[in-house]
Amino acid sequence: MNRILRSREALVLILLFVLVALIGAINPNFLRARTLLNVVNSSLILVLIAIGEMFVVVTGGIDVSVGAITGLSAVILGTSLNAGVPLPLAILLTLLTGLVAGSVNSVGITFFRVPPIIMTLGTLGVYRGLMLIITGGSWIETIPPNIKAMASWSLLGVRVFAWVVLLIAILATLLVRRLRQARYLYAVGDNKDGAYLLGIPVKATLFAAYALAGLFAGAAAVIFVAQIGFVPMQTGNGQELKAIAAVVLGGVNLTGGVGSPISAVIGALFLTAIDSMLVFLKVPGFWNNAFGGAILLIAVYVDYRIRRTLDARQRQIRAQVRASKMPEIRPQPVTEEAR
Amino acid sequence: MKIVKWIRSWEFSLVWLLVLEVLVLGAINPSFLNLENLLFSTSDFTHILLAALPLTLVIITGGIDISGVSIMGLASIVLGLAWVAGVNVFLAMFLALLIGVLAGMFNGLLVANTDIPPLVITLGTLFMFAGIATGLPGLLDALGFEAYGVAGFSAYLYEGITGLPRSFTNLAHGGLGWIPNPLIIVLAFSLLLSVVLHRTRFGRYLYLIGVNAEAAHYSAVPVKSVTIAAYGLSGFGAALAGVLLTSYFTSARSDLGSEALLPIITAVVLGGTDIMGGSGTVVGTLLAGMLIGFLRQGLLAMGVTSDVVPVVVGGLLILVVAIKLLLSAFNQYRINRRALQSRGSEKGGGSSVG
Amino acid sequence: MGKNADPSQAQPTPQPDSPTTPLIALKNIWKVFDGVPVLWGIDLDLKPGEIHALLGGNGSGKSTTMKILSGVYTPEEGTIELDGRPVTIDSPSLAHELGIYMVPQEPHIFPHLTIEENLLLGTGMERQHAQARIRQLAEEMGFDSPLSALAGSLSIANQQLLEIIRGLVRNAKILILDEPTSALTFREVEHLFERMRRLADRGMGLFFISHRLNEVLAISHRISVLRDGVFVLSAATESLTSRDLVRAMLPETSSTVHLQENGRTRPGELPLDQPCLEVRHLSGELFQDVSLHVKPGEVLGLAGLVGAGRTELARAIVGLDQNVQGEVFIRGQQVTERDPRRCQELGLVYVPEDRHAHGIFLDLPNLYTISASILPRLGRYLISSQEEQAIAQRYVEKLAIKVSSLYQPARTLSGGNQQKVVLAKALASQPHVIILDEPTRGVDAQARQDVYQLIHSLTDQGVGVLLISSELEEVMELSDRILVMFQGRVMAEFAHAECTVEEVMAASFGLQGDPQT
Repeated sequence: MNRILRSREALVLILLFVLVALIGAINPNFLRARTLLNVVNSSLILVLIAIGEMFVVVTGGIDVSVGAITGLSAVILGTSLNAGVPLPLAILLTLLTGLVAGSVNSVGITFFRVPPIIMTLGTLGVYRGLMLIITGGSWIETIPPNIKAMASWSLLGVRVFAWVVLLIAILATLLVRRLRQARYLYAVGDNKDGAYLLGIPVKATLFAAYALAGLFAGAAAVIFVAQIGFVPMQTGNGQELKAIAAVVLGGVNLTGGVGSPISAVIGALFLTAIDSMLVFLKVPGFWNNAFGGAILLIAVYVDYRIRRTLDARQRQIRAQVRASKMPEIRPQPVTEEAR
Repeated sequence: MKIVKWIRSWEFSLVWLLVLEVLVLGAINPSFLNLENLLFSTSDFTHILLAALPLTLVIITGGIDISGVSIMGLASIVLGLAWVAGVNVFLAMFLALLIGVLAGMFNGLLVANTDIPPLVITLGTLFMFAGIATGLPGLLDALGFEAYGVAGFSAYLYEGITGLPRSFTNLAHGGLGWIPNPLIIVLAFSLLLSVVLHRTRFGRYLYLIGVNAEAAHYSAVPVKSVTIAAYGLSGFGAALAGVLLTSYFTSARSDLGSEALLPIITAVVLGGTDIMGGSGTVVGTLLAGMLIGFLRQGLLAMGVTSDVVPVVVGGLLILVVAIKLLLSAFNQYRINRRALQSRGSEKGGGSSVG
Repeated sequence: MGKNADPSQAQPTPQPDSPTTPLIALKNIWKVFDGVPVLWGIDLDLKPGEIHALLGGNGSGKSTTMKILSGVYTPEEGTIELDGRPVTIDSPSLAHELGIYMVPQEPHIFPHLTIEENLLLGTGMERQHAQARIRQLAEEMGFDSPLSALAGSLSIANQQLLEIIRGLVRNAKILILDEPTSALTFREVEHLFERMRRLADRGMGLFFISHRLNEVLAISHRISVLRDGVFVLSAATESLTSRDLVRAMLPETSSTVHLQENGRTRPGELPLDQPCLEVRHLSGELFQDVSLHVKPGEVLGLAGLVGAGRTELARAIVGLDQNVQGEVFIRGQQVTERDPRRCQELGLVYVPEDRHAHGIFLDLPNLYTISASILPRLGRYLISSQEEQAIAQRYVEKLAIKVSSLYQPARTLSGGNQQKVVLAKALASQPHVIILDEPTRGVDAQARQDVYQLIHSLTDQGVGVLLISSELEEVMELSDRILVMFQGRVMAEFAHAECTVEEVMAASFGLQGDPQT
């Protein structure tokens, strides 16, 4: 229990509630169930992308191509649906696209040792270009209604999609806590050399991280197409940046080793909520990015200060221990022996 | 002289590639071989060069700055709004450039004083500056300023601020003979940065920090202030790019340059600058930038849509870095093998201990 | 000087005359780094049930040897035999499979994972199956933290135990313990030794690396001393005294630099001026209450082992580490806000111990390193290339640096020349007092001579030198006074004429009252 209270996730969650309450005080419309549920619904895409990004960031890396992967997957989905591919197959294809796209990143990063920022920046360009090549430059305007219908399915007043994402998040959290290979992610992020020395398959772990990021981005594309109903060329633009902001906010350490899917979820919810809140405060939407960026900067800066304080404290403790153990001058017995 | 030679050879290759590229493109579309046309077409991508050139300096120190593209838009909208508010257009331009420097220095301050990776910091400012750029018109509206035109401030957002005076827009459209102004500015900027990089102690400090920041600190190098200045320069370059784009399109927009991040970074990396820091030249970035710029022109001229270009550029980026890494790994292996082969001569055998 | 191999061993199975196959044997192992050999064809073995201690000074090659055993490095030449069978250990996981586990000096803990996870990570074992085993091992080892706690909360002693248990979980037959006792209290050390004896009794073999002579003598069955990549002594512990060990680690007399030839012009003459550097009651993380002073033209030697806190002291003096209490005076002026720049302005320069990491710019031309700290003096706006080259050339000649060109990258120079380049950089700012940290480490004999010459000429010019060195002969010959540090405190002070090498060495190990031979 103590651990939960001290975690960053709890902090952000509390902050979220506080903010919601505050906004609600100013504009009570915000607190209506409908509004809040809307916030949840519009956050689903970002939540999925953020969970995927979390896997990468936990290992101490970064992936700026997830937005483009979402876009590419969305294009694949739209195109295949319009070509008459049955819905379940199309969805599978979409997920596969995401997985493969992410794996391309993995190959570059693990085998060719290309720094993650460069690799994913490159694939960002490539995938966006591919999007446009496949569609010939135009938006995919019409999408068969079968998928769009999925967006409006509800269960107990909450959209099915929301339930599904919740389920995915819970599953991911459980797996990450229990599955041995998942712990490798944290080990690699915490201490890459130590992990190698312990015989942990560092390369395979990194490979999986980036592939997973792609997979989740592909899943996000499914929800996107269903919710939005068409695929504009800007699909996914800027989502990677938001995803990174989301995971950092939610408590994933950029240097790796800390965080969980819950962090990603909370962070994504927070960011989306901010967008809505700004609407309810009658702040024009143009400011969203400014706030997003500012919040990200504040979050990492505060994180930095906290880390420094904790480090300093630890070193102080260690120094005290050492000081108390330092020898007073004690004569040591030396055995005499005739030579 | 070895490293100097090597660098020369990379840049030399770039020169050759550039010439080759123009010839190939010219073969496909003869208008390329027309010098006037060629020079004129550079105006399309000078903004990329202007941002990439000082970014080279930042990357040499081992850092990175991806917020330049947002600073472009920010500078542009600041210029536009200032002018609309009645400020003389050239003063407005100066203001825009100043904002660029300040934005850059903001990045620099965070990089120099915290251990937060520059990538993350400039990621945040990428967002923040873009947001400020789009939000400024609305802010001024809220503050009670008046806007020209019926549509008011929101028009500024969607259509940009137009009607800028001829004296200003001529900047991007004028030229000296066949050489358009933007190109002159790029060349002058390159020259300046080159001199700074290779002949001043500030430039030397950049290399020292990039190769070994710890040793630089030990050697009494003012690491912090050099870092801040480098990022400030990067911001300036981005702002300058934004100003020129504004002049070129005769409209101040807050979303200028949003697609430019990839070609900018590719220009720097392709130009021979090591992304981890410690080496690189301004000339290399200039040549590589032109290579990419003309490539884009050429692809467009061939009827390829502008969307394919990022694919090529992105692929190029990855390829270049991968090859460089493979080569250096191979080199290290060779050095060690060679050393072992010469070990027999020094000490006589080892000692046996059971 | 050295002792021959003594075959008599304390064994659990008493058969003193039949040769027991060693658990592991290294034969003729060579290791080369960046073109420089670190291990020169060494042989080493470990018998079952044996605790074999490895001693050696800084740079002797002991950690390289252990890294080869644990799969981090592969030797360029030589063979490794496990139970008589030749094996290749090319990765840590392979080492684990072969039953070799290294407990590092700094335990590799994943602070955000639980203890259980930390133990099981990398073993491929399922939690349920291994839980019982872990619990049993933990109890045996006297590990008192609950297994589900986060590893970040463990004390150092428990972190080390965790590492040992990690090895046991992997069914290690050979454990390598790298300086395990440096951060432990006396009671914790006893506890650890008990566990080690128990493991040895079970037939495991343990390598024990340490600086602490009394501990080594207490726990080990056999001791081997490594010096400069070569074993100079290996014998049963019961036949050795701490004096033998101390002697074994001293440099051979044949390689002593004869400074008499290049003698000092003012041996033992103490300058009378105000100290150019004074330090009062300086305390930091790794050192306590250190006071010293250096007078112009004087060499103060600071002897001791790695971990004694000398480098940390130097870093604190020059402002590379903050969070330090105490006072520093440079040429009489107190400096509270210190950093390398400020100190250089006041005339104090620090030549770091690790020239690769902190001193030299490997991938830049030599010229750049030399001029790095004096660039402001080379021109107001543009760097005067002429002046820069002139100054650099001056130091190249003065220090006899062998470079084919000032523009070659520093990486291509030999260790000795690289060190000279770093020295040139330090001297270029014409300091009044200079701190030299291990200036001749990894440097060839001729270059070493040159550095000594340099120190002489510096003191002749009235520059004060604080010389940190682990080479005893060097410290002895060059210093006017010697301070010896051990684990962060100043143990002894000697004036030049009054001490022997053995006294200084003994003090470095925290020993006192060692009578002269």
